[in-house]
Amino acid sequence: MARKKATPTFWGYRRPEGPPGGRNHLAIVSGMDNSNPIVRRIGSLVRDATPVNTSFGRALMGEDEAQHWRVMGHTAAHPNVGAAIIVSLEPKSANAIAEVAARTSPWMPIEAVNIQEIGGTLSTTSHVVELATKLSDYLATAKRVRCEMGELTIGAECGGSDTTSGVISNPVTGMVADRVVEAGGSVIFSETLEIVGAEHLLARRAADRKTARRIIDSARRAVDYAESIGVDFIGSNPAPDNIRGGLSSIEEKSLGAIKKAGSHPIVEIVGVGERPSKKGTIFADAPCAGVENISSLAASGAQAIVFSTGIGNPIGHPISPTIKVTGNPRTARTMAENIDVDISGVMEGTMRIDEARDLLEKELTAVMSGKLTTSELLGETELTVSRAALSL
Amino acid sequence: MSRALVMHPKDNVATVLEDIAPEQNLEIEGNEKTSTIIATEAIPFGHKIALRKIRSNANVLKYGEVIGTATQEIPVGSHVHVHNIKSTRG
Repeated sequence: MARKKATPTFWGYRRPEGPPGGRNHLAIVSGMDNSNPIVRRIGSLVRDATPVNTSFGRALMGEDEAQHWRVMGHTAAHPNVGAAIIVSLEPKSANAIAEVAARTSPWMPIEAVNIQEIGGTLSTTSHVVELATKLSDYLATAKRVRCEMGELTIGAECGGSDTTSGVISNPVTGMVADRVVEAGGSVIFSETLEIVGAEHLLARRAADRKTARRIIDSARRAVDYAESIGVDFIGSNPAPDNIRGGLSSIEEKSLGAIKKAGSHPIVEIVGVGERPSKKGTIFADAPCAGVENISSLAASGAQAIVFSTGIGNPIGHPISPTIKVTGNPRTARTMAENIDVDISGVMEGTMRIDEARDLLEKELTAVMSGKLTTSELLGETELTVSRAALSL
Repeated sequence: MSRALVMHPKDNVATVLEDIAPEQNLEIEGNEKTSTIIATEAIPFGHKIALRKIRSNANVLKYGEVIGTATQEIPVGSHVHVHNIKSTRG
């Protein structure tokens, strides 16, 4: 009789409270686009500092402003961050982001710096370098300890999708997501436009009626917005190249995308960058574009992201290590330096699907234990915050 | 042997992993037991093959879910695509 396989563990940084980290970043976080140059400069001056740039941030209003502060604050307070310095143009945004971060991770040393009060580029740079070297010294004593798979929240994202995504890399990502959830952890998946067509099927997987209704509502909002800008989303999908690739209906296309989240009931829906209150399979109502999506998943607390790709995409998140997995043999060859897990053997008949699952799971625990991803090695990392409204 | 992947035990279609010629023998993978099937017509890479006879108006199942309904009877081994199934979303 086959023995039940033990749940894998990883070596992470235990925090005074909340989930453990797979990294111990000293994050230098931009509050606004205009602060990016200083933040980048700190990244090159202090060896252990990780610059986290942003998009927009200036002159935001209402929900847009709240969303920006939430995403940047939750990113600063990420489990993979040991200490954070928020750098913004003026005090209001710097303090607001630092407050979100302090509420989320009360144990974390967090500094808020604003360029207007410190006075200019050179003084701010010098001030932040001084703060950063002190915090870097403090972080240097941290030790990794053994952590459980059930302490993980992973993000599941698919980008540059093709036929192999729907039948190989998304299902394999879903199998690993199921393993994490079965161990007591969580998976967050999103890309609202990609559930359209299968939202009625996804709603049936909701743990309760309220969650089911919110799944349907989020899909309807996306379709209605598309219609308001003159796009018939349901009528135009599957697109002609999808049909050439073998997709026969919008349900089939969406089911292939959803497959990356595994098979467990959906326990909660969160907005862009919101932290879930429950454990299990979580849906985030966030846009599909790769960088926007991984930025939302990481802000929601994903300690690592599995990024399933067909034709390839080099990008990763600066704080949440992003594991690229492909089932496409050509991509595995032509974009090898951007691929972390090559499961194209499933296509070629040299790898079974359960072997592919085990390979991805092993990479996840290795990355959480400190192994760098291809996007970390190459510095192919980026963050952008989704906009809730038009710029004024 | 050429292969096709079945995503769920309930499915009545599988996805072929290379271009398939008529009368070609295929190995079906993904279920507990591996089986074989003969394609009755050409099926391009990434497209679907019928694992069982699918009656007209019956559900077409992939990932264990309904991806559409048959617009005509689909014999076992046939190419399953937009010419013989339609979305349930209109």
